[in-house]
Amino acid sequence: MFEIISFVVLLGCGYLFGRRAEKKHINDIIEREKTFNSLPVIASRYPPENQYYQQQLVAGNVVVASDYFKSFTAGLINIFGGAVAPFEPLLDRGRREAVLRMKEEASKLNADLIFNIKLETTRIATGRTGAIEVLAYGTALIPGSKPAPSTAEAPRAM
Amino acid sequence: MRYENRQAPEGINVTPVHPFKQFAQLLFAAALLVIILVVLLQFFGGWIGKRVPFQYEQALMEQVDISLGSESPPPEMVSYLNGLAQQLSAVMPLPKQMSVNVHYSKEDVFNAFATLGGNLLFYRGLLEQMPNENALAMVMAHEIAHILHRDPMVGLGGGVVSMVSLSMITGQAGFAGSILDKTGFVTGTQFTRHMENEADQAALAALARQYGHVNGADALFEVMRQHTGENKTPDWLERFAATHPLSEDRLDAVSRRAAESGWSLEGDLTPLPARFHDWLKQ
Repeated sequence: MFEIISFVVLLGCGYLFGRRAEKKHINDIIEREKTFNSLPVIASRYPPENQYYQQQLVAGNVVVASDYFKSFTAGLINIFGGAVAPFEPLLDRGRREAVLRMKEEASKLNADLIFNIKLETTRIATGRTGAIEVLAYGTALIPGSKPAPSTAEAPRAM
Repeated sequence: MRYENRQAPEGINVTPVHPFKQFAQLLFAAALLVIILVVLLQFFGGWIGKRVPFQYEQALMEQVDISLGSESPPPEMVSYLNGLAQQLSAVMPLPKQMSVNVHYSKEDVFNAFATLGGNLLFYRGLLEQMPNENALAMVMAHEIAHILHRDPMVGLGGGVVSMVSLSMITGQAGFAGSILDKTGFVTGTQFTRHMENEADQAALAALARQYGHVNGADALFEVMRQHTGENKTPDWLERFAATHPLSEDRLDAVSRRAAESGWSLEGDLTPLPARFHDWLKQ
């Protein structure tokens, strides 16, 4: 009896709190994305060549945890196959949050653009609790004047 | 020239499905799958198990060589228990090619069970609580009935096979596996309870033939009910999820079955041997 009650309570908590946290996070992401849309992120490996930029590596990472309800449903999907829908918003939030954190860093550097963005995902919790880490990193281009020529060769962008 | 990222539309990376609806559908489908699997395997495994010759079962037990009971049990106790088993086997009646062998354990466990190869194990913890021979005979006849019905083999064929197959599914389900395991277990108990009821019925019939009445059988279930004690689980849930029928229900069934079959509930009780409690202390 105790097992049934604890199962239902955990599932209910996972569903209610998980959904609430998710909704809150997504709304927050949307607002912040609107602010940072003016700082574009591009996947191209080639920086624009019309202007001189200083370059700096910027990164943002986030760890997002699953909840009891999501993990439980995902376990059931493992039997029948199909899209693991409960984890899709989790990864979506993770990616967007990591990119935002990277943009926040670049914005502090007064960058115009982040190019060559890469994303990496790692599962960091095993067993019953699932959590993922998403890391976004790229090269921020910061407008600047060309330094005076020196004998040493200036570092080149990749 | 300034560039800008456009705001991506929402929901493009997420499958449009209501989480609760998906959960309910999946849980229903998974539970149904488990129930169908367990029922099928219990039926077919049990069907095959029943058709394995008893000699094979005995040979299997000899091969695994598990010693049942205590190392040096009091010989009087073992011979008394086996003697009672012989008498009851004769009235059950147990077919000639089948035989039972009773073992005794000094452990303080309130239990007795029948296992493969016609082996029965009685624990001191149970024997201590027996008020008379009739109650003990009821337990003994119940266990012999399991042997007669080939229940240990059916349990191996149906129960074990279905649980192993089930673990293949539940192992995949990760987190949800434990709930599905329980679903499978509860499905399995519907079969074990059926076996227990059948064994009770056969045991009462044996008691009636041996002593001419079924008095004493109720005393056994009364002892069992007292031993189990009160617990907080609601009756309906306990009834549904237990491997054995509730002692209360078995107690009711004694008088019902006696009335149906015309067995007398009254009759002289046979006392346990005078030195029975001394043997228990050895």
